[in-house]
Amino acid sequence: MDAEAAAALRDGLKFLAAGLAMIGTFGPGLGIGILAYGAMQGIARNPDTAGTIQLNMILAIAFAEAVAIYALVVAMLILFV
Amino acid sequence: MESTEQTRPRWRWGTYRWLIILVIVANVFAVKAFSPVKPHIQLPAEAVAGPVTLPLIGDLYLTNTMIATLIADLLLILIAFSVWRVTRGGAMILSGVPQIFEMIVEAIYNLTESTARKWADTVFPWVATIILMVLLINWSELIPGVDSIGMLHEPHHGTPAYETQELFAIGDFHVTTITGEIETEVVSDSDSHDSEEDIGEGLGFTPYVRVASTDLNFTLALALTSVIVIQILGFRAVGITYLKKYLNFGRLGKLLFREKISPFDLIFPFTDIYVGLLELIAEIAKIISFSFRLFGNIFAGSVLLFIIGTLVPVVIQSGIVFLELFVGLVQAMVFGMLVMVFMTMATIAHDGH
Repeated sequence: MDAEAAAALRDGLKFLAAGLAMIGTFGPGLGIGILAYGAMQGIARNPDTAGTIQLNMILAIAFAEAVAIYALVVAMLILFV
Repeated sequence: MESTEQTRPRWRWGTYRWLIILVIVANVFAVKAFSPVKPHIQLPAEAVAGPVTLPLIGDLYLTNTMIATLIADLLLILIAFSVWRVTRGGAMILSGVPQIFEMIVEAIYNLTESTARKWADTVFPWVATIILMVLLINWSELIPGVDSIGMLHEPHHGTPAYETQELFAIGDFHVTTITGEIETEVVSDSDSHDSEEDIGEGLGFTPYVRVASTDLNFTLALALTSVIVIQILGFRAVGITYLKKYLNFGRLGKLLFREKISPFDLIFPFTDIYVGLLELIAEIAKIISFSFRLFGNIFAGSVLLFIIGTLVPVVIQSGIVFLELFVGLVQAMVFGMLVMVFMTMATIAHDGH
């Protein structure tokens, strides 16, 4: 294999690896869905507490999202470093 | 009252609509004239000022993220000074920037008091400082010019070189714009063949200011400081027994003075030690999650702004800017609230159950 093909293969594997790393967003996606589901049910049952529930929901979504962000950071480390 | 309502400039939709359309059209033409260049996405911060060699530590660079941090610091100090200047006169009702600042601080204090209760006065300064600082720094990525105004220099190895075009010059100060990227192969052996004529040689680009949260050093420093302060607060609140959280040999010690030991008596002492070990690991995980959460969110946001800015340089980016406004606020809140919750947890005596 000549150098150019090796470089191309390396680049391709890099992109593939970044794509695979992003599978990690699967769980957080589910988590955020469940969170929004719970929060909306809570708001529907007790609309007066909507403000508190929304604040807590956004915070919890940020936690769930953090895991997806780790996957994103790994993908970016693969791509750009 | 009526007259003040009348004189207040209102949102004149009929006029502003045409202004907005004009701006969009101007945007389209500007993009036609100077098509956006895909920026080089780089993880480590770029050095702006040369190395200062210190003994023992080594070379120190002034990076563009440090400049952003300093600007945010300066802004925060200025805001604090303006508020202090107003409240020093004994003003009860504030207006303008101090009023907004009062509202923010009051909201943060109420949140802290509802969580930390007795320790609110100790926890509050840390939380408020972190929230305000991170908020300012996160929102600095939305200011046009951050990440895009910088200096040109000889290209480094591994970074792309750009074609430049001079716009205008004030004395010796030349203002240029980047018009395109030159393939790195061309730059590396440009002196061997093809003397560059009208293209001009490619120049590397380093922005003066880059959002501090896109540098892992900043977020890691913030996370380390927070976790260390959490430990110090734990020691202050519950004394030396705070160590029991991590090294819990209490029940194992009691076991030594027992005469008869059955194998089942060993379960709980060793569970305690194991839990202490897990707590220790959790502290390290805290540092990692703190730093990577902030870094990842804001770095991803700025990359998104770059990419959307090059792909669809008209209108769409405004939506992304709005999204980033929200992400920056939420991340600042999350960082501050997590520090608050962990500090509160550290102040609660651990063997009280």
